[in-house]
Amino acid sequence: MTIPHLHSPAAAAYEPALPTGSEQVDAQPERAKQHWNRAKLLRFERQPGVRQVSVLSELKVGESGVLVALDLPESVQNHLMHMGFVPDALVTALRRAPAGDPTVYAVDGMEIALRRETAEAIRIKPQAAENEDPAEDELIEAAQ
Amino acid sequence: MSSTCCTPPEFVPPANPPAEGTLRTVVLIGPPNSGKSTLFNKLTGLRQKVANFPGVTVEQRLGLMAGVGRDDLTLIDLPGIYSLNPYSEDERVSIDVLQGKMPGAPKPDAVILVLDSLHMTRQLMLAAPVLAVGLPTLVLLNMSDLMEARGGKVDVLKLAKELGAPVAQISAVNGTGLEAVSLFLNQHTERTAAKPLALPVLGNAASTHNWAAQVSRKTGYQAPLSAENTRKIDDVLLHRFWGPLLFLIVVVGVFEVVFSIGQPLSDGLGDILARMGELVRPLLPAGWLQSLLLDGAWKGISSVLVFLPQILLLFLFIGVLEDSGYLARAALIADRVMRTIGLNGKAFIPLLSAYACAVPAIMATRTIENRRDRLATILVTPFMTCSARLPVYMLLIAAFIPNTTYLHGILGLQTLTMLGLYLAGFVGAMTTAWLLKSSILKSSETPFILELPQYRMPTLYSLGLRLLDRARIFLRQAGTIILLVTLALWVLAHLPVVHTATGAIAAPELADSVIGRLGHFIEPAIAPLGFNWKIGIGLLSSVLAREVMVSTMGTLYGADPGTQAMHLQTALHHDMKLGGALALMIFFAFAMQCTSTMAVVRRETNSWKWPALQFAYMLVLAYVAAFAVNHIATMIFG
Repeated sequence: MTIPHLHSPAAAAYEPALPTGSEQVDAQPERAKQHWNRAKLLRFERQPGVRQVSVLSELKVGESGVLVALDLPESVQNHLMHMGFVPDALVTALRRAPAGDPTVYAVDGMEIALRRETAEAIRIKPQAAENEDPAEDELIEAAQ
Repeated sequence: MSSTCCTPPEFVPPANPPAEGTLRTVVLIGPPNSGKSTLFNKLTGLRQKVANFPGVTVEQRLGLMAGVGRDDLTLIDLPGIYSLNPYSEDERVSIDVLQGKMPGAPKPDAVILVLDSLHMTRQLMLAAPVLAVGLPTLVLLNMSDLMEARGGKVDVLKLAKELGAPVAQISAVNGTGLEAVSLFLNQHTERTAAKPLALPVLGNAASTHNWAAQVSRKTGYQAPLSAENTRKIDDVLLHRFWGPLLFLIVVVGVFEVVFSIGQPLSDGLGDILARMGELVRPLLPAGWLQSLLLDGAWKGISSVLVFLPQILLLFLFIGVLEDSGYLARAALIADRVMRTIGLNGKAFIPLLSAYACAVPAIMATRTIENRRDRLATILVTPFMTCSARLPVYMLLIAAFIPNTTYLHGILGLQTLTMLGLYLAGFVGAMTTAWLLKSSILKSSETPFILELPQYRMPTLYSLGLRLLDRARIFLRQAGTIILLVTLALWVLAHLPVVHTATGAIAAPELADSVIGRLGHFIEPAIAPLGFNWKIGIGLLSSVLAREVMVSTMGTLYGADPGTQAMHLQTALHHDMKLGGALALMIFFAFAMQCTSTMAVVRRETNSWKWPALQFAYMLVLAYVAAFAVNHIATMIFG
């Protein structure tokens, strides 16, 4: 799988939308397909832009989302951003701790564990709407 | 010039070395898990020391840069931090040291910034505020061998231009690329041509991240494929079923190995030390000097020294767990349990290290962001069974608990007793934490944010340094506190001198000596626990450090003609019952007898209030528990 490497925000903006959906299916077959279908359903059934925004804790293991905002106190927000939780970053739910609660998320090549109540305060959107985003190549890096 | 710094083999020694005295102090800084400690060890070798920055809880490591042939330079290792925002104490200290405002730390002349090249984009976020400080800075991309092996790449020359600072690729583990450091040290005083082009708005994480992303884009940085190994290992170690099971096996296994391997080593060392004493005996004139040196000092010290192998083994295992990255997983697994008592998984790491020693464990609570959570963890840490309790437990168990085995020799009664004592400490810690968190230290929960580093093979070198450090501390303690206490005890046990019928000067009966009278004075207070006055002296002296108890017993029984020839275990049997022995073990499980711990708690909490409260609480708990155990055991066993 070759992934285009974009070198500047400007170039990224003119790039045609990547067929992210199908790629995603290649990479993580079943879960990703389900996620996709759900994301599409949500968008068609509801008014666009209303239900697209969900929170990190809703991700199932193996699913990914694109970070929108952190509804957390500033100091916590700052700390998380330095660990890679910046807007437009691709976050993947990797695994849950044996007891089911803290969940390990992959972001920017790192693995960070967060409890449910923290993940609930992190807003994300489905990956599909992200093709024209300038931070594209970090997403691709992270996805690698 | 910055561009030539990046290809070490082409380095040319500087034509004009800087004038004498221009460069004295270098600061080493980097994010957590960037391999900074390994690099520090490589750069300084054995010539390092650990201390605390005055007035704060942050540990500072200082070393001479002998590893690159510059032992005229001091290297300061700053704590691993993500940013220079004055948010955590670590970050505040780092800023102060960088700006030369930290009292007690020399003003730095140059900075070495270590970044993990596997995650360069994110790690560059620290580069912006560090470069903004304006000191000559060398940027080292660590683990570059790994990055290249996994298909990552970066244009180092462009990076140097973007940052306006020399950049070199190194591998701290293999020690490659370190020539760049000595070169930088030799020529740093010459100003680099280009200054940083545009630094982001400092303190703004989003702006800093954009800047870092831009820099890594411009330098053609391609992140390497993430290591599959770590995820594969985690598939097992964090598995829903195997994870917790392996967690238990690791924790129990560590102690099992410490005892099964450590015990024979300790016994062997004990024999050697005893034989050494006997070899010296004929060389000394018989009389008070021989008695003082051999029956007092040597007996006291060697009764503590024999535990060195076990203590080092324990530190070795904790070191392996920490260096490999498993402790972070243990914290993740433990989080669910820890939150029921109001703490989070991060509190588990200090509690596990406290099995070795409460002092480094209390320092390790720094990673807990919430102040009240941290305080609660500090207050319960001394309950965990530290290695200093081992000498006392083992002496008493060997003396009083029969070596019966059950289940075809798999479970021994002695082992079960030991496990019970560990459990008692653990339960004491958990209950106290829960009490604290639901009363005086109640707080809103802070988010639990835990980075899971990649698994790494612990290096023999860093493990060796750790053990050497521990052995040094232990031996220093044995050579100072314990030596002084045993000598003082011997003297007090031999005063006041009495005149025998023949007119010669002789030592008094032990019970009539100064120490004997003191013991008898406090005896009423401890008699309900089943302790006699000799144990009372032991308890008093063990306030300094728990293991002093054993050396005190060694000295006291050695000074008493009635028990002098006996083995310490037999001597103890002489005037203590099973109830008293069990009570003594429980007393040690709960009481806070360690001046080092109290000093570190005082320093960490910045007030005498907390160590005083802790001491009183633990003493009362120990007394009540010992009282109960003595009476119950006496009722059952007579």
